[in-house]
Amino acid sequence: MSKVLIAGIGNVLLGDDGLGPFAIKVLESEYDFPDNVELADLGTPGLDLPAHLAGADALILVDSAKLGGEAGDIRLFRRQELLRDRPRARIDPHSPALSESIFLLELMGAMPRELLMIGMQGSSFEPGSTLSTRVRLCIPHIIDAVRRELYRLNVWCAPKAKHHAPGIWWDSLRPEASSKALLR
Amino acid sequence: MTSRITIDPISRIEGHLRIDAEVDGGRVSKAWASCTMWRGIENILIGRDPREAWLYAQRFCGVCTTVHALASVRAVEDALKLQIPPNAQYIRNLILIHHALHDHIVHFYHLSALDWIDVMQIPKADPVKTASLAQSLSSWTRNSPQEFKSAQDKVKALAASGQLGIFANGYWGHPAMHLPPEVSLLGFTHYLQALEFQRKSNQIVAILGGKTPHIQNLTVGGVANAIDLDSLGTLTMDRLTMIRSLIDEVIPFVHEAYLPDVCAIAGMYPEWFDIGRGAGNYLAVPDLPTDSSASQFDLPGGVIFSGDLAVVKKFQTAADPDFRLAVTEDATHAWYKGGALHPWQGQTVPEYTDFQENGKYTWVKAPRYSGRPTEVGPLANVLVGYVQGHSLTRKWTDLALGRISAVAKRKVTVDQLQSTMGRYAARAIRSAMLADLAVQHCELLTNNILGGDVATHNPPQFPKGEIEGVGTHEAPRGTLSHWVVVKDGKLANYQAVVPTTWNASPRDSKGNIGPYEASLMRNPVADPERPLELLRTVHSFDPCMACACHTFDPDGREIAAVRVL
Repeated sequence: MSKVLIAGIGNVLLGDDGLGPFAIKVLESEYDFPDNVELADLGTPGLDLPAHLAGADALILVDSAKLGGEAGDIRLFRRQELLRDRPRARIDPHSPALSESIFLLELMGAMPRELLMIGMQGSSFEPGSTLSTRVRLCIPHIIDAVRRELYRLNVWCAPKAKHHAPGIWWDSLRPEASSKALLR
Repeated sequence: MTSRITIDPISRIEGHLRIDAEVDGGRVSKAWASCTMWRGIENILIGRDPREAWLYAQRFCGVCTTVHALASVRAVEDALKLQIPPNAQYIRNLILIHHALHDHIVHFYHLSALDWIDVMQIPKADPVKTASLAQSLSSWTRNSPQEFKSAQDKVKALAASGQLGIFANGYWGHPAMHLPPEVSLLGFTHYLQALEFQRKSNQIVAILGGKTPHIQNLTVGGVANAIDLDSLGTLTMDRLTMIRSLIDEVIPFVHEAYLPDVCAIAGMYPEWFDIGRGAGNYLAVPDLPTDSSASQFDLPGGVIFSGDLAVVKKFQTAADPDFRLAVTEDATHAWYKGGALHPWQGQTVPEYTDFQENGKYTWVKAPRYSGRPTEVGPLANVLVGYVQGHSLTRKWTDLALGRISAVAKRKVTVDQLQSTMGRYAARAIRSAMLADLAVQHCELLTNNILGGDVATHNPPQFPKGEIEGVGTHEAPRGTLSHWVVVKDGKLANYQAVVPTTWNASPRDSKGNIGPYEASLMRNPVADPERPLELLRTVHSFDPCMACACHTFDPDGREIAAVRVL
């Protein structure tokens, strides 16, 4: 497998919507990855998504999802399930654009050969909130799913000998607590 | 007979732009623009350290990341009266230029080209004729019959499979679509090529900013890039050379594919230069400062009122005294408490009522310039520059209008840029200008470093007491301003007045409609079930409702629905 992209999607300022970027930070802090694996916090790129995904051979996406169950529930999606719905007329470039991006990349011949989307149900999407306790406790399920997929792709990632704190600068509502770590 | 059209995203959590229009005799007689998601995200910043505000601001919007980051550091620097080193200006400018080029290319090809190109006509095109047409328009190297044939084959394969994928729900065969098949194939082929050049533009942002989409190199007082021409991990001569060669690859796409495509398509739809005139008031702030004190700019700013292109009030600085005083945000018809307030006094206290067409109907406040609804964006940028005689703006505007007029076989004037198609043309004109400026700013940076200046940062000092600042940026969608109040080194107020807020603004206390609403008036609607014409006009502004969340819905309720009552 030449290039693997593991990407978190979601807005870190909107509660559980930020679970994707959160999981990426945790992965970065707990595992060593080979050079052909790239981890990225893509935020909410909307129609900019194809530019970020093109060039990878395998793609693992982590995103919040509406699964209709309990917060923290997890479901895995492959290409066909992601494309069940057809894109329709779009008003702005900003709306979630996952299926549209996949269609575009396929049309341009730039679609990664392997695709897994790990979706987790969130509960709170209020501006300024951090992850809900339930989702926070379920983040290890995402980490496990990523590791299983890497194993399937024959990519080796090893737990770091020494853990460091994930450094999630947005993970605090208290203005005092967050500032020190990120100022140079 | 009057009918009512609602174009509304139907997703449950993320909500964006909703358009309501009353259509009478085939024309829009009343219009409402509504944002269906709360934008109170600035409240997160109150009480925080102003030096870190940009990191949060960068997450207001996933598409406009760098623009919010920049406006945020500029706002704090303005409050502190802090100048930044020339290298920091040039590095920031290069990031801004390439973010904008990326964004404009995505807008034209991937967001809006298929409003004009009927994909189902593409199989009928003759690739050889398409190539000779394309070669008559520009010297773009990838205009060969083979290139067009291969793009056409992709559409044919999709059509034959019955799985239209991304094209399954377009308004194909709509009476307002009338491009010859060859022009459709031309535009579509470049639509496929565009991704490559977006990525190259993005790479430049990543080299300078550390990462994309969230850059990491900003800091209040400058940039965090270390410059050392000999060492790894810093901005070296190698990296500057790499940036220059990427710029040299992106420019031809902008000058020889994007701009000629827009001119050809615009010339084939000349009637759209008479549709979609907006509020008629235009605002652009100066940007791309070329010195430490930001007294000189490569993009001019100013205001134009009432569509009068004889007069422009020119701005001397990025936050001109006139601009500082003239901006208010009116919440009369928005789901917030309060009337019209200056952003430094601005409040974001929600008061939700449901959609009431004569009352409150949107989460967007109504920014006003001296009380006037005012359009921002590439059109404002181009008009403000053109009217004050800015030579780069004139050069590309005159060239584009000449080409459009030649295709249309009638004269299309600067005044007619105040229209739906004018906004597309202006965005392409601005991109052509930015491509020229990319080279200039890369040279400014390289020469300044070669001259021995490696400074990138002036450290900020926060005084006791209260200070106010405004940071502006002429972003891809128009004038962006962040307004900060800092008290004893902490943020006491933070308001972001974003481009789409200006354009998508609702009615104000005097009942004046906003720019989207104004531009939709008198729009033709051939088929209320398929309001392609309304999408064209709304898309011409390149709407972007800030602060979306992204939640994947396996039931596929991702996108917009049209309801006709």
